[in-house]
Amino acid sequence: MADNKPTITIDGQVLAYEPGQTVIQVAHEAGFDVPHYCYHPGLSIAGNCRICMVEVDGWPKPQVSCKLQPSPGMVVHTQSALAKSARAGTMEMLLVNHPLDCPICDQAGECHLQDYSYQLGQGEASSTTAKTKLPKNVAFGEKIVYDAERCIKCTLCVRFCEEITQTNELAMSGRGDHEIVIMTSKGEFDTAYSMNIIDLCPVGALTSRDFRFKSRLWFMDFTESLCTGCARGCNVVTGGRDGAMLRMEPRANAEVNQWWLCDEGRLDYAHVNGADRIASPRIKTADGVWVQATVDDAITAAAVALREAGGDVLLDGGCTLEEMLLARDLAKVMGGKARYAAATGGGDKFLRVDERGANAKGAEGLGLARATKAAAAAVVIVERDAHVPAALRDGAAPVVVFATDAASVPASARVVFPHGSWAERDGLLVNTDGRIQVINRNPAVGPDNIPATADVLEEILGELDPAYDWRGRGGLHAALRSESAFAKAQFPAMQSAGVGVGA
Amino acid sequence: MTAKKKASKKKAAAKGPAGSTPAPARAQRGADGVYPETQILSRNFGVEDSWTLAVAREQGAYTMLEKALATMTPAQVVEEVKTSRLRGRGGAGFPTGVKWGFIPQDSKKTKYLVLNADESEPGTFKDRYLMELDPHLVLEGCLLCAYATGLDVIYIYIRGEYPLSITRMEGAIEEARQAGYLGKNILGKQGFTVEAHVHPGAGAYICGEETGMLESLEGKRGHPRIKPPFPAVEGAFGCPTVINNVETLAHVPCIIEFGGAWFAGLGIQPDPANPRALGSSGTKLMGVSGDVKNPGVWEFEFGITLRELIYDYAGGPLDGRKVKAVIPGGLSMPVLTAGELDVPMGYDALQKVGSGLGTATAIVMDDACDMVEACENIAHFFADESCGQCTPCREGCHWMEKIFARIKAGEGTPKDLDLLEHLFVNIEGRTICALADAAVWPLRSILRKFRHEFLAQMPGQSDPALPAGSAAVGAR
Repeated sequence: MADNKPTITIDGQVLAYEPGQTVIQVAHEAGFDVPHYCYHPGLSIAGNCRICMVEVDGWPKPQVSCKLQPSPGMVVHTQSALAKSARAGTMEMLLVNHPLDCPICDQAGECHLQDYSYQLGQGEASSTTAKTKLPKNVAFGEKIVYDAERCIKCTLCVRFCEEITQTNELAMSGRGDHEIVIMTSKGEFDTAYSMNIIDLCPVGALTSRDFRFKSRLWFMDFTESLCTGCARGCNVVTGGRDGAMLRMEPRANAEVNQWWLCDEGRLDYAHVNGADRIASPRIKTADGVWVQATVDDAITAAAVALREAGGDVLLDGGCTLEEMLLARDLAKVMGGKARYAAATGGGDKFLRVDERGANAKGAEGLGLARATKAAAAAVVIVERDAHVPAALRDGAAPVVVFATDAASVPASARVVFPHGSWAERDGLLVNTDGRIQVINRNPAVGPDNIPATADVLEEILGELDPAYDWRGRGGLHAALRSESAFAKAQFPAMQSAGVGVGA
Repeated sequence: MTAKKKASKKKAAAKGPAGSTPAPARAQRGADGVYPETQILSRNFGVEDSWTLAVAREQGAYTMLEKALATMTPAQVVEEVKTSRLRGRGGAGFPTGVKWGFIPQDSKKTKYLVLNADESEPGTFKDRYLMELDPHLVLEGCLLCAYATGLDVIYIYIRGEYPLSITRMEGAIEEARQAGYLGKNILGKQGFTVEAHVHPGAGAYICGEETGMLESLEGKRGHPRIKPPFPAVEGAFGCPTVINNVETLAHVPCIIEFGGAWFAGLGIQPDPANPRALGSSGTKLMGVSGDVKNPGVWEFEFGITLRELIYDYAGGPLDGRKVKAVIPGGLSMPVLTAGELDVPMGYDALQKVGSGLGTATAIVMDDACDMVEACENIAHFFADESCGQCTPCREGCHWMEKIFARIKAGEGTPKDLDLLEHLFVNIEGRTICALADAAVWPLRSILRKFRHEFLAQMPGQSDPALPAGSAAVGAR
C-alpha cells in the first residue's frame, strides 16, 4: 500500500482500512458478500444477529465482523470451516421458530433470511418441536403491519426510531424467544418517516399495509428513479406491474437522502394509477366533440392551433430539464415566455423541503418565471393538480394541453396529449441543492404507448419553426450544458430507458 | 449464619477489633483431619447488631480506610491489592488489582464503581451474608477501591429479591454519610469525595452480567454490551467504571490490615510452570445447597476439597442417600461426579478437572435425582433468563429446553442427544455475553457423564445401569 494505510487480510486479499471502519465494512467495500441482518451502515452496531461471524487468526472464537475493529495485520477468514459453521449454526437458530410461510409472505424474493437459507441452510430441519407462537398482524400505526413470529429481533426498526427520527415509537419487550417489538407508550406511530422500517426489516416481519398482498416481486419491474414529492430528489426504486405502480422504496445516496424516504413521498403515487388517466392524444372537433387521434395528427392539429393562438407556456414544476428547455424554445417561437408552477409547504428538518416542485431549481436555472397567479398561456403541461391548480390552468385558457389526468384538462383545450407521470418519463431534474439527477421510465407503469412529452414538444417546435433541427436527448443535453446556470454542473450518465435494477 | 459448627472444629479467626489482632495463620488440617474455617470476612457474622455502625466500629470498621487515607497513596493501595493476587469472587476470577489498573487516571469524566450485588446465580447465597451482617465492611471495601482508583460515585446494584440486603446497605450508607465516611472530603482527606447509592434490580438473571447490569443501571433493558469497549474505559453512563463483586471488595480491608503479601500467602499458590494458573489466594466464602443435611455458607482458605466441604461442613447426603453429582460453583459450571470430589476448591484446580470455581457454592444432587429432570430444570432456567438479544442464545436455550422436556416426557430418541451436542457447539462462544456458555456447560457435562440416564428414559433403549427387566421409561 503506497499510502501506508494499515491493512488486514481477508481471505488472502490484503486490504487497506480507515480507522473507525469495522471488518464487515472493509469486506463489503472489497466486494466480499459477508451476510448480515442487524448491521446497517446508517445505524449503530448491535451485533445481535450473529450471522456475520468470521474467523480471525489467533482468536479461538468466531467474531462478529460488524463490530470487529481491524488491527494492523489481522487475518480474517470468511470461508473457513469455523466461519461457515458459525454462520450455518446461526442460520439454523434463526429458522427454529421462524414460520415457513414464504409462499404467503410479501418479503419472499427480497428476504435476506431466504437468501442466506439458500447459501447457508441445510435442506432438512433439525427441529421437530413446535414453533413459538407470537402476535401476528399487529398494527404499527396505520401504515405498517408487524408479525412477531417472522421477526428475527435484529432491532433495526427500534434503532431507526431511536437514532434517525429520535421519536422512540418502538422498543423490545419480553425475554428469550418471547422477545418482540412493541409500540411504546406513545401509542401512535405517526412519524413522517415510519415506513423506512419496512425497508430496514431484513425479513417479512414489517410489511406495508399499502403494498402487502398486491404482487409477488418477481412479476414486477423495478426502475431506479427519484421521488418527485418535493425538491429533495430522494433516490428511489419504483416498482410496477401491468400498468400500475405498486410501490416505491428508497435507494441509498449519501449526498441526498442517505438510505431514507418520507412516508408521504413513498405513498405519493395515487395519480399514477388514477382511473382517469389520459392514454392517447385527443382533438376537439369543430362541433366540440373529443375524438381520439394519432400522435402525428395531434401534433399537426396542435401546430395549427398554436400558430393561431401564440403566447406563453405554463408547465408543471415537476417537468424535466429537457421538457423545460423545449417549452422555453416553444414559447420563444410563439412570441411568449415559459413559466412554471409548483406547490410549496410541508418541509421539515430532515429530508422534506418546502419547495414541492421537483425541478423548480432547474426551471430557475433556465430563467423560467414562477407562475403565482392566473395568466394566459397557449400551452399547459400538468402532471399534478397540486402544482398547477385549476385556477392557474383554467385562467391560462390554453389550446394545447399535456395532462396526466383527464380531470386536469381546461375547457379551452383543443388538443390534448397524454403526459406520463414521473414514473413513466426519462429526464433530468435539479434538486434543491442544485444536484442534477435522473428519472427513468418504469416500463410496467402507466398506459401503454404514450408518447414522450419531450418528443412531442420537439415535433411541435419543428412544425412551428421550419429551421428547427431535431436534437433528441443528446442534443438537448448539449444545449443544457451550454446554459450558464449548468455550465459547471455535473450531468449524470443517463440510463437507457426502462432498464430496472431487477433486470 | 445458618451453618451449625461443631465445637470440635478449629477456627483460625481474626477475632476482636480489626487492627488489634495478629494476622490469622494458615489453615492446617487438625488431628481429626478436619480442614478448619478461617473467619476473616465472616468474623463479625455472629456479633449482635453487627450491621449497625456503632457495633461495626467496635469491631474496627473503617479503621483500614483511615489507615489507607493517612498512610498510603492510591497507587500503593492498588499495588497492595496486586500483591495480594486477589481474584474476582463473582465467578470469572479476574485479578482485581489488574482490573483497577485499567481505570484511566487522566480521564476528566466521572468515574464509577458499580458493586455487583445482583447475586442471581442459582445456588449462590454468599454475598447476602456480607450485605446483611457486615454492610460496613462492604462499604469500607468500596471506599478503599474508590480511593485507590480515584472514583467519584459508588452504585451498589442489589438483586431485588434481597430486601434485607437492600435495607441494610441503605442503612449503612446513611450511617456512613452521617459519620463522614461518605460525602465531601471524607475523613478530612481533601479531594476524596465519594457518594454511594443502592440500586435494586428487578429480577433478571442477565442483570448480574456486568454490562447487562450497566444497561439496567442506566434505566435500559438489561442487554449485555459487546466488548470492547470494556467498562474500565466506557462503563456506566459512558464513563470509566470498576465493576467488582461484593465479596471481592469485602476482602480489601483485611488486605490493607495484614498486607497483600500475607493474603497472597494464604490459599493455593500460582503454578510457575503454567502462566494461566494464577493461584487462589486468601479465603473464600463457600456454600453448599441441594441434597445435603446441613446447607450453608462458611469461610475457608482455598484448598479445602469439595468432598470435605460437602461431608465435613454440609453434613453429607441425607440418610440412606449417596452423592451422585455436584456442580461446584453456582449453576453455570460443569458437573462433577461423586468420584471427582477430592479436588481442592480453587480456581485452577477446578478448571483442571474440567469444571470451575464459579461462585464456590456447590449444588449437590443425590442418587434420587433424575439427571434428565435436572437438565430440563437447568435448561428451563437459562431459556427463561436468556435476554433475547442475540440469536444463538435466544433461540438455542429454548430449543434445548424443548428437547430435554421431550426426553423427560419419554418421547426422546438417541438422535436427540446428538442434536444437543450439535446445539452446544452452536451456542457456546457464539454470543455477546457468557449466559449461553453458562447454559451449555452444566448441560453438556451432565449429558456426557450421565448419558445412560438419558437413554434409559427413551422408548426402546435399554439402560446398562439398570438390572435386566427393569422398565426403562420413568425408571428412577
